[in-house]
Amino acid sequence: MATRNRTLIFRKYRDALKSVRIPTSSSSSSQQPLSSASTSSSARGGRGGGPVIELANTSFLNPNRSYAPLSTEDPGNSSKGASTVGLPPAWVDISEDIAANVHRARMKMAELAKAHAKALMPSFGDGKEDQRTIEGLTHEITGLIKKSEKKLQRLSAGGPTEDSNIRKNVQRSLATDLQNLSMELRKKQSTYLKRLRQQKEGQDGVDLEMNLNGNRSRMDDEDGLDNMAFSDLQMARVKKTEAFTAEREREIQQVVESVNELAQIMKDLSVLVIDQGTIVDRIDYNVQNVATTVEEGLKQLQKAERTQKQGGMVMCATVLVIMCFIMLVLLILKEILF
Amino acid sequence: MVVVSAARDYINRMLLDISGMKVLILDSQTVSIVSVAYSQSELLQKEVFLVEMIDTISKSKESMTHLKAVCFLRPTSENIQYLRRQLANPRFGEYHLFFSNMLKDTQIHLLADSDEQEVVQQVQEFYADFVALDPYHFSLNLPSNHMYMLPAVIDPSGLQHFCDRVVDGIAALFLALKRRPAIRYQRTSDVAKRIAHESAKLMYQKESGLFDFRRGELSPLLLIIDRRDDPVTPLLNQWTYQAMVHELIGIQDNKVDLRGIAKASKDQQEVVLSSEQDAFFKLNMHENFGDIGMNIKRMVDDFQQVAKSNQNIQTIEDMAKFVENYPEYRKMHGNVSKHVTLVTEMSKIVEERKLMLVSQTEQELACNGGQGAAFEAVTNLLYNESVSDIDRLRLVMLYALRYEKESPVQLMQLFNKLASRTAKYKPGLVQFLLKQAGVDKRTGDLFGTRDFLNIARNMARGLKGVENVYTQHQPLLFQTMENIIKGRLRDVDYPFVGNHFQQGRPQDVIIFIVGGTTYEESRSVALQNAVHTGVRFTLGGSVVLNSKRFIRDLEEAQRIAKSSTNAV
Repeated sequence: MATRNRTLIFRKYRDALKSVRIPTSSSSSSQQPLSSASTSSSARGGRGGGPVIELANTSFLNPNRSYAPLSTEDPGNSSKGASTVGLPPAWVDISEDIAANVHRARMKMAELAKAHAKALMPSFGDGKEDQRTIEGLTHEITGLIKKSEKKLQRLSAGGPTEDSNIRKNVQRSLATDLQNLSMELRKKQSTYLKRLRQQKEGQDGVDLEMNLNGNRSRMDDEDGLDNMAFSDLQMARVKKTEAFTAEREREIQQVVESVNELAQIMKDLSVLVIDQGTIVDRIDYNVQNVATTVEEGLKQLQKAERTQKQGGMVMCATVLVIMCFIMLVLLILKEILF
Repeated sequence: MVVVSAARDYINRMLLDISGMKVLILDSQTVSIVSVAYSQSELLQKEVFLVEMIDTISKSKESMTHLKAVCFLRPTSENIQYLRRQLANPRFGEYHLFFSNMLKDTQIHLLADSDEQEVVQQVQEFYADFVALDPYHFSLNLPSNHMYMLPAVIDPSGLQHFCDRVVDGIAALFLALKRRPAIRYQRTSDVAKRIAHESAKLMYQKESGLFDFRRGELSPLLLIIDRRDDPVTPLLNQWTYQAMVHELIGIQDNKVDLRGIAKASKDQQEVVLSSEQDAFFKLNMHENFGDIGMNIKRMVDDFQQVAKSNQNIQTIEDMAKFVENYPEYRKMHGNVSKHVTLVTEMSKIVEERKLMLVSQTEQELACNGGQGAAFEAVTNLLYNESVSDIDRLRLVMLYALRYEKESPVQLMQLFNKLASRTAKYKPGLVQFLLKQAGVDKRTGDLFGTRDFLNIARNMARGLKGVENVYTQHQPLLFQTMENIIKGRLRDVDYPFVGNHFQQGRPQDVIIFIVGGTTYEESRSVALQNAVHTGVRFTLGGSVVLNSKRFIRDLEEAQRIAKSSTNAV
């Protein structure tokens, strides 16, 4: 892949032309016409705050100049000169926030993966701590995603046409990131759940199936068991299975809740995300669309202007004003004649 | 040697080192170049949040200095003017200029002159000056393609402009591939000779430093041929997927515009047919119409299965799975409806224009059949009311190209009949075609009538019968490729430029057709490459033709030729 860098030659020319263009003497000598190499463009521009002021003086003193110095300040945007990258508008902060959230969520996902793996390993302890860390991490990540999604909606406020395009594109790219993130999270959760169930099934045998089927079967079994005489051992076992059941129940409820939350987020996001491979994903289609929407907007504005001008209200108002004048004239005539 | 990845690599490099929010500025040519190789979502990933055209960029006064501008333009004088205006009033904080071909020193000087605020950070030449349609097929999207048919005296500046653009495109391709080729051209074509010599001058003399790649392998071969050597291929109706869509509806830069055709639903007004992004299309783009129908039916059945299972949601697990798979489901839905819409549309057109009947006669004219039977068939179709004008014109053209010398009386009869039945027919168009691409002007053995081997082959084929009467035509390019593989391309017909004589067989061959390629030929190249004979072919042209475009070029050239003779 061959390329050629022309920057050096370009800089050489630019420096050479610069030294010819800039006046090297003070204001007294600025009365003399500068060399012909300085074209009309030399009155404009500058290299920042300093030269602007300088050139304003020379422009004022030198009658040969026909240009007023251009303001290098952008209204409301950057306060530095045009040569430096100016300060971005306010909404960029929001997008940066969202990007930071996404990054943080990614890191937490890595931790979550580790916690999942640890919880799945056979251990001697109760595993409650692992569950708690997993719960906590999942909550955090879901919270981050929800927060980011709310902020994302804020980005799509109205505004001038140029800016709104950029905002829409920024929104799209962040929406894609968020959607990928939430899908990853959900996949991780579902695999964890599946492996958890497999594991517990292996340990507890038939009991777990009973738990998964919900409360009803538990009730039945309890009723059934009540009729028989219980030994202490059996009571202890029943209590253990009850505790397990409650535990599992809660875990699954929580996971399902987070799945639902994420589903909601995904629905909202999928409106924003571009489908790859479709016409909306083509650069030339988007460029054309911008042009046509701007033209359409112009046409609508013109039409509105025209209808407003032709509006009945305007007619009425003009007619009334004319009538007033006529009446005034008649009044004056009456006074004069009588 | 894949052209699509070459273009993508260039664009990746452009966006690589520049951090922060960017805006991409393109001109009307580079927007095609970038759009076929890169998608909008990939741009967004690289933090390019706005794409603008260089000619409308100065109209807006809004200044966004927090953005960095990456300009990718062709080095034409117009673009330099637009850039100068921009640099004098820069809207963006930084400018990184990338040009798709070689800049002249004067142009750099002009740019340096306007860059008073020193916003330009780099000026580079990235040679992606071609539209990479498929891995082995590229085009240059030349607007005034008909120029190649006119002799140089009529419009010398126009022809020079045409040749310059072609030479630039070819040079950019070889710079992207980092090779310097040995050049051969078709002797009988002046345009091909001119382009070949100018390319050689550029690569070996003017910019020999730039092209001096020390590679041990054998140089690739660049073969420049003229469209008029094979005028039959663009005139034929096509029955393989990609070629058929282009022939009946029209593909531009891998996009199909269905807006003129009624009943397209709102999100299917324009669709993308790209072998890189659509796996189904990649498998089926060279298959014929019957097989496509079956494959689409299979795809629809699969999709219906998935849809049914999606509707059958009972437990929370099912819900979770549905939500997980929803993006893929949506993509599949879009893809299925796209292909179904296209195939439905094409079936409708085939039905309306009675293309099965017409195409059978066309194939007979192009491949075999006797003159008498051909004459009768063409006459019958001319009298048939449901055959459209353009199809009639094509039939007569094909007949004329084949039986030009055999019975002039019958040929005249056909011309008269055509003129009387077709209202919009411009008189003399067929004769103009014969003058351009008649049997005296052609080098290759288009109908297999010159070489004994070819005659024997034709007879054998006629006796054996063909598998599918609608796809029996092989473009002349196929024979040319075979000759190159066997090392039998005659020096008399296709001489080398200068002293580039090559020993042995080349491993990479770039064939450039001045006047345009067709998708049938690119299919031929793709199938040939799949056979792994040790030679890899790449095909390029000034545009991609279908019969409408080819006839339009002929009409345009005829008009100019007539007006110039009138003026003289």
